[in-house]
Amino acid sequence: MPPPIIRLVLLTIGIVCVYFTARFFLVPPSFGQYGHYRGNALREIAAREPYWAGRKACDTCHGEIVKKLAAAEHQGLSCETCHGPSRAHVENPEVKLPKLSYSQCVRCHEASPSRPKWLHQITPDKHYTGQVCAECHVPHQPNEVP
Amino acid sequence: MDATILTNVVDALPQFDGYVYPNERTLHPLWSVLIVVYPYITGLVAGAFIMASLVRVFKVKALEPIYRLALLTALAFMLCATLPLLFHLGHPERCFEIMMTPHFSSPMAMFGFVYAWYLMAVLLLELWFDYRRDFVEWSRTETGLRGIIYRAFTLGVTDLSEPALRLDARMGRIISVVGIPSAFLLHGYVGFIFGSIKANPWWGNPLMPIIFIISAMVSGMALCVFAYMFLCWARRITADMRCLDLMISFLFYALVLDAAIEGLDWLHRLYSAEEGIDVLKSVAASKLFYTLLIGQACLGTLVPLLLLGSMQLIRRKITELNRRRVYFSSTVLILMGVLAMRWNVVIGGQLFSKSLRGFMSYKMEFAGHEGWWLSLLLLALPFIILTVFIKYFLDRDLPTIENVVPGAVRHPNSPEAQI
Amino acid sequence: MSENVTRRSVLKNLAGIVGGILAMPAGRTCKAAVQNVFAIAPAPKGYDPNQHKWLMALDVDRCIGCGMCVEACKAENNVPQNNFRTWIERYVITRPKAGSGESRGETFVDSTNGGIGGFKPSLIPKEDILKSFFVPKMCNLCEHSPCTQVCPVGATFEAPDGAVLVDKNYCIGCGFCIQACPYGCRFFNPETHTADKCTLCYHRITRGLKPACVEICPSQARIFGDLKNPVPDDPLRRFMESNKVEELKKSLGTGPRVAYAGLDEEVR
Repeated sequence: MPPPIIRLVLLTIGIVCVYFTARFFLVPPSFGQYGHYRGNALREIAAREPYWAGRKACDTCHGEIVKKLAAAEHQGLSCETCHGPSRAHVENPEVKLPKLSYSQCVRCHEASPSRPKWLHQITPDKHYTGQVCAECHVPHQPNEVP
Repeated sequence: MDATILTNVVDALPQFDGYVYPNERTLHPLWSVLIVVYPYITGLVAGAFIMASLVRVFKVKALEPIYRLALLTALAFMLCATLPLLFHLGHPERCFEIMMTPHFSSPMAMFGFVYAWYLMAVLLLELWFDYRRDFVEWSRTETGLRGIIYRAFTLGVTDLSEPALRLDARMGRIISVVGIPSAFLLHGYVGFIFGSIKANPWWGNPLMPIIFIISAMVSGMALCVFAYMFLCWARRITADMRCLDLMISFLFYALVLDAAIEGLDWLHRLYSAEEGIDVLKSVAASKLFYTLLIGQACLGTLVPLLLLGSMQLIRRKITELNRRRVYFSSTVLILMGVLAMRWNVVIGGQLFSKSLRGFMSYKMEFAGHEGWWLSLLLLALPFIILTVFIKYFLDRDLPTIENVVPGAVRHPNSPEAQI
Repeated sequence: MSENVTRRSVLKNLAGIVGGILAMPAGRTCKAAVQNVFAIAPAPKGYDPNQHKWLMALDVDRCIGCGMCVEACKAENNVPQNNFRTWIERYVITRPKAGSGESRGETFVDSTNGGIGGFKPSLIPKEDILKSFFVPKMCNLCEHSPCTQVCPVGATFEAPDGAVLVDKNYCIGCGFCIQACPYGCRFFNPETHTADKCTLCYHRITRGLKPACVEICPSQARIFGDLKNPVPDDPLRRFMESNKVEELKKSLGTGPRVAYAGLDEEVR
């Protein structure tokens, strides 16, 4: 083989060797475990700490409230929907949750032409202004009067 | 949520009218001006190479003077091709992943390999076989830095016998032939990146790779003409008119093809009037009025077509000086027009929402990594590199083997045949 | 060079082979040291992604547009301010002009800040509204997701359990997946400089919790379940039984799995 071709072939082989050596070091360990991605990624993504406690967590200590809630119209609500993030309280019950303001009720129940008809809606300006929602409605069993 | 915070958030957001998905409300388009510059550069590379291959593969002897210039132009631009991408990536330090774990269903994964193949196995190899004889000769006569460079590039092979030179010529031809589909692949995959995005009605269509390739050829050829004329002007020599006229002919026919395909794209869109057509028409007519209708269509395509077309018909009646003026201005218009085309495709495709209900408006800044300054720099850099290449490899004052060894065999590509 | 098979040459070759074999552990330790950059924290044990197939369904008739799911997601996942892993769209379809012969008037869609804080009253007077509704949007958990198809490095993928995830330690930030998603659910995270999207609260569902948006939704507009391990009286099964469902942009062939009930033709 003529010398230029030999030199070029050697150069090519050298480059290919460098490539495969680089691959040996640089392809991450769990790559290809489940597919064309790092298997460790699943574990890393799942390792994040949850923020919301979830309704089941409240059931442990506040079982009676949850049971009453489950029988009434607000049964679909999670406790944290109204009471806010509660993980700190679940881990240490001494930590108190912030007091609720009734803008929470209006948030869902304010009347809007875009809201579905099955939802009970009120126009805050016209519905007993000056009064607090809890005076007439029990938040956990909304059809009952306090 | 606090009303003041809400107002601030809404005020800080860029302009949009109609309905735009919340994640589309960004300050800059995701693929911004750097992604306009990248296909432009690779297009110039592919086109310049096609011009060079006209000499080797299609044996168009009259274009011999620009052969080396075209290859060096392609190389200068090729070396800068990765820069816009590196600047654009969110994590440029992870760029090696594209070659280590390429995801073969992605056209972008092709980039590392196609780029490496084209740079090393096509451009550098073809240049090496063409220049090998000169490197050997020059390394014998030059000293200092230039001497070291030439000696290094000989790769230690100093055989200048007749069979060796014949081998050089034969390898050059083979590589040229291999290089043509490689050039199409280098730029075609970029067109395919856009053409494969079915989520975007402007981009996702089968004509996109073809449009990209053909406009790339046009831009590369225009660049060769521009570089040749500029170099002749800089060296105070007259350009070879036969070469120039022929290059312009090829450029003209490529431009006709380009205009036809792009026209077909629009014609088809307007005719079949699919779901997003209202939004697309609106984007083309109002947001892209200057860049598409004026810049790309009128100035970049129609005017050069008329100018060059008339040159084809009445060439003999026009003086050489006037012809050169027409050629020069046409190539400048074409180069701007193709850049405008890349802009219209890349930025234009991001000016409307995928909800097909709204538009976004962006403001381009001067500084910053999506700004004017960086892009202009990246477009200027290949020209600087080309100047260096010309100084080292296309310098007509360099002695040839005839001066050093009288009576030796004359290589068809010896520097006298150059500019 | 002559072919001289002497004891010396054989011993030399054997030494070379043994040396090579002994060097392999050293090479592997070296490799492990270099690759330590990629290996990070472990995660909940006992979760096998192949044993689950998650799905979320959305009931447009139950969405009240309170926007609490969007806020819950932001809090749960630290989503940057101007980006959304899920959002609510409000559609207001006006009445057709009298005598125009149209079945409906113009459609107005809005999603101020993704729906966070709820929606301010629409500027369109009530008498002009033909119908109006809220549509929650999120990752459509595509079967043939175009976003994972176009990732050049394998940083985004369809996990075996149906979630479509982004490996933010591997993503190079090219943005191809963001361009390829027809639903607008991906975004470029300005803090991590990678692509980002709804992860189906992967860190919650692998621990037996529900995604934050499902947890917080007050009106059961979001129904979540495991298709491979349905619970008794599975809400997902009930949803599929009692609703005619539709998926978004099905004609693009992305195989979206998120089923919508009560979708209107105007929703894109």
